[in-house]
Amino acid sequence: MASTIRKYLSLAGYVRRRWKALVLIVVLTLLSAGAAALQPWPLKVMVDFALDDEVATGWLATWIDAAAPATIITWAAGMALIVYVLGVVLQISISWCWGVAGERMVYDLAADMFDRMQRLSLRFHARSHVGDSLSRLTGDSYCVYQACDALLVTPVHQLLTITFIALVAFQLDPMLTLVVLGSTPVLAGVAVWFGPRLKERSRLIREAQARVMSHVHQSLSALPVVQAFTAEPYSRQRYDQLAGDAALAQRRGAFLKDGLTMINGVTTSVALSIVLYAGGRQVLAGALNVGSLLVFLAYAGSLQGAFQKLFKTYGQIRTTEASVDRVLAILHNDERVREADDAVPLAEAVPAVRGRIAFEDVSFGYEPGQPVLSDVSLTVEPGECVAFVGPTGAGKSTLVSLVPRFLDPWTGRVTFDGVDVRTLTLLSLREQVTLVLQQPFLMPISIADNIAYGRPDAPREQVVAAARDAGADAFITRLPEGYDTVIGERGATLSGGEKQRIAIARALLSEAAVVILDEPTSALDVETERAVMAGLDRLTAGRTTFIIAHRLSTARRADRIVVVDEGRIVEQGTHDQLMRSEGLYYRFHRLQHDDAIAGDTASDGPGDAGASPEEVAR
Amino acid sequence: MKRRWWCRLLGYALPYWRGLVVLLALVLVGIGLQALRPWPVKLAVDRVLDEPEAGVVWLERLPGAETPGGLLAWLAVGLVVVAGGVRLAHLFQVWFQTWLGAQLTYALGSDVFGRLLASSRAWHGRQRVGDLVRRVNADCTCMRDLVMGVALPIVQSVLTLVVVFVVMWQLDWLLALVAAAVALPMGLAIRLFAGPMTERSYEQAERSGELMAMAEQTLGVVPVVQAFRRETHEHNRFRQAGERTVRATLRALASQLHFRLGVSSATAVGTAAILLIGGHRALAGRISVGDLYVFLAYLAALYGPLETLAYLSSGFASAKGKARRVIEVLDREDALAEPATPHALPAPQPGPARAIAFDHVSFGYAPGQPVLERIALTVEPGQRVALVGATGAGKSTLASLVPRFADPTQGAVRMDGVDLRDLPRQVVRSQVAWLPQEPTLLPMSIADNIAFGQPDAAREAVVAAAEAAGAHAFITRLPAGYDTHVGERGATLSGGEAQRLAIARALLKDAPIIILDEPTAALDAATETAVMAAIERLTHGRTTLIIAHRLSTIRRADRIVVLEHGRIAESGTHAQLLQHAGPYARLHAHHDPPPGHAAAEEAHRRE
Repeated sequence: MASTIRKYLSLAGYVRRRWKALVLIVVLTLLSAGAAALQPWPLKVMVDFALDDEVATGWLATWIDAAAPATIITWAAGMALIVYVLGVVLQISISWCWGVAGERMVYDLAADMFDRMQRLSLRFHARSHVGDSLSRLTGDSYCVYQACDALLVTPVHQLLTITFIALVAFQLDPMLTLVVLGSTPVLAGVAVWFGPRLKERSRLIREAQARVMSHVHQSLSALPVVQAFTAEPYSRQRYDQLAGDAALAQRRGAFLKDGLTMINGVTTSVALSIVLYAGGRQVLAGALNVGSLLVFLAYAGSLQGAFQKLFKTYGQIRTTEASVDRVLAILHNDERVREADDAVPLAEAVPAVRGRIAFEDVSFGYEPGQPVLSDVSLTVEPGECVAFVGPTGAGKSTLVSLVPRFLDPWTGRVTFDGVDVRTLTLLSLREQVTLVLQQPFLMPISIADNIAYGRPDAPREQVVAAARDAGADAFITRLPEGYDTVIGERGATLSGGEKQRIAIARALLSEAAVVILDEPTSALDVETERAVMAGLDRLTAGRTTFIIAHRLSTARRADRIVVVDEGRIVEQGTHDQLMRSEGLYYRFHRLQHDDAIAGDTASDGPGDAGASPEEVAR
Repeated sequence: MKRRWWCRLLGYALPYWRGLVVLLALVLVGIGLQALRPWPVKLAVDRVLDEPEAGVVWLERLPGAETPGGLLAWLAVGLVVVAGGVRLAHLFQVWFQTWLGAQLTYALGSDVFGRLLASSRAWHGRQRVGDLVRRVNADCTCMRDLVMGVALPIVQSVLTLVVVFVVMWQLDWLLALVAAAVALPMGLAIRLFAGPMTERSYEQAERSGELMAMAEQTLGVVPVVQAFRRETHEHNRFRQAGERTVRATLRALASQLHFRLGVSSATAVGTAAILLIGGHRALAGRISVGDLYVFLAYLAALYGPLETLAYLSSGFASAKGKARRVIEVLDREDALAEPATPHALPAPQPGPARAIAFDHVSFGYAPGQPVLERIALTVEPGQRVALVGATGAGKSTLASLVPRFADPTQGAVRMDGVDLRDLPRQVVRSQVAWLPQEPTLLPMSIADNIAFGQPDAAREAVVAAAEAAGAHAFITRLPAGYDTHVGERGATLSGGEAQRLAIARALLKDAPIIILDEPTAALDAATETAVMAAIERLTHGRTTLIIAHRLSTIRRADRIVVLEHGRIAESGTHAQLLQHAGPYARLHAHHDPPPGHAAAEEAHRRE
């Protein structure tokens, strides 16, 4: 329980930021509860004093005694209009204020989560799916709204309503008030009993529906096999069977859920009937007048409704907790690459940036106890081009990710021109490292903005110059809107090679001393590769270059080839040296030449993507 | 869409007419009981408390009802009975409605799914699986939305309004008219606000969709964002998009609140009017206090049905959107039409093999972009033909015409001389076993995977197939043997093991034609040897088309066909083609290994 409270408290900041709206809500709630208590009174006044000729007591007595019944009726109706309209206006104002405050809370929280997510180290992103992050942003961020509603807004509202009505009712008839309040333990018990069962049921429903969905997904993904083996009837049968189960689960869930409503409703009506009977006896005995009985019947209904809403929050708090956990898992995630408090800009630490990178006994892993890199030491001189070769999972990409500090090593250190990268400000470090990845990763913005992504203030001439160097200018100017063409669904569709050339232009525009190329051409065919390589050559000229290469022909161009296997450097040297030593590289090379003749391994039909080397290695 | 979409969908509801009748009966009972609800209180006020002498005849016949106290007790019981009845009717209605709604949804889903299963691979190649899954699962709920979310509420609301009005008319026509007059501004409020409410909630959905797309884009490219130091910029973009979403959400909320204000104000005015006019009429002795109570209760009960009516148009619109996507699938011209008068396939020649002939076949996925052009090729029974060529040359496409995964746009594919389009699809496919590069296993037991498509195969036959495929040994080493459940997409088996299961499956099928789509490309050398042996057994004596890039595999073919840009560039035996010094010889001499070549990885594995 204490931990639950602590969890909710860590979201309190988002609620506190909207305190003005919340104060306003409380004030409006107070008025609204008062209006609710007043609502049955015009009817009472009319019934008792105009129609039944009761003798009035209290502050209205002199006026009522003097007024004709018809006048009383008219006044009562006018009063009713005022009380009802007031109630409506107050309710709607509350909804509006709570809507404004609640939505803002949610998006404040979502924006903070988003910011935290994008700043988290790649260790986090290696484990989590974008879809999961999105569902945290869209769905779970509502927990702050739900929590505030269940813990603050609803309890305040309902408790105020209950207090007001109970006080007035008690004035009218203490006995009957106690009868109405007596039924609340039943309502509470129902809420407690049904809460977890409803949750369990809805879980079962979700699971049954998920089974239907994954069957459809699997069948359609495996469609070639399903069709080749004429298993369509079987697959359809299985669908019907799973769908039947899901329908059954939904039916059961509906029964339970409406069972709760029914028990609540019956409890309410039992309380009402007791009020009717006991109140009626008192009317017969002359202890109570008919109007008061009507007021009581209205109050009994309102009180029960208020209690039901109040008890419902119990279940809500439990449900919301799961979302709160998922939100806090992001907000409290410390897998950030953190800047040291005394971090200095690179320009301050190094008088002239040259781009000498050294890995000193570096070890690293994504999961504790499972090192991906073990004691790697390597020095790359300024302007040198080093190619990394090795099977998937050897740790090539992980190793180069340490340079711009996407990750921090467990032990050992990475230095930039002799300075530990952890002592530098992230901004100044990453300014000096640019990259081109296997996937071009373009944003749905204009081509010019994409190229200038790292330097939004770059003048158009520089953007064009970078595009020209990357070999992208020609096809960009052929597009209808040239550099202002928006990339993406509604914008131009570019080929893989074209996108990659834009990514190269983006890297060219940044004036970094270090370039990381992570299999930049492995997704391209041979002809496209040639066009892209020219741009890459211009990009790497004069810069320290790390290239993760698939194709040995690419690796061969490097000044030095480093062969990585199982997180260690197993051999390094020039192509000729490595060929002579007849190690792993030699065997790689021989294989690529011996047994392949055709232009590809990827198949050419739609729907059956060829196995990438990644899959092969898996 | 030829017919109105909702007529189409209601067609799916017709077989469930019995259920719908029961549902309607439950709704009617519910409405009747609902109308009775204020009556116990009314009777208590009128007959017991105000004018004890003027009793209702049947009420006083009840035992103990002669005294006011006894009558009161009966009315109190009546209140519980009526309220309980209302709840019970509601419980059954919701229960039945959910059940029926789910059945309707899944009946439609089953049809859509069946249609998708029967669609050509050419079409599937252009679809995203996720989108199709959504059509089967999410979009088919349009059925439920239409019947339970639109049709039923209309019936229920209108009936409620009618019943309540009739009862009110019986009590006092003037007050009934007053109440009806209140319904008019409410109706006006619906007309005024329903449109903006729908529009704005749509706009809100759009904005939050944009926000999510933005977040997805950025979170998908985190390395680039971090490398180019644009976190702050992206954060601001998210904040701005978030702000737009909040504004749209609040606009939607505002339009809902306008509606509520309109309807609630009308209710308030109506209540006051009933009190005013009813009070005066009660004073004049035309109606009783209890009648007044009934009127007020009915007026409060009007709000629910009217609100339901206000939201109908948005429910209808969303059902329409989903239905469009569903009907798109159902109405798709099926490219692989079954023949009207199916021909019979001649009995196979001696030996389990059949001839395949491509008779000037052209094919393209999109008009004007041919993938295959006038391919003429005859494969004799038992012959083994290798298809060779670069990516996009059309090798897999050509092979996929044989099991009729697609129909040629021109020309014909013949099996033992019969056009495939004249044969039932199932017959064609029963003649072809197809082994893709990536073995696709389904999440079921290993035995079921091998017997996929032939669920009645005996266990001995399954084991025999596994033995021939060289899979028996590793299967029996698994904890549950043949009953081991295969993880999703074969995650728990190695590539070679999965491929051997696929071969066992093909062996069990015992088809005269075998298509191999680079079945060993994804395997390391040691595994390949084992798999090749199994493939030898599989293809022995059968007509075989093999798509290959490895020299060792290609050499074994009786004939090599080289495809270039959708045409046959040359064909012949290995020796002939080398002599010919054409494209094959060039490919053979090509020194730079291809991109993404498996060999590099494989070399490592040979360690």
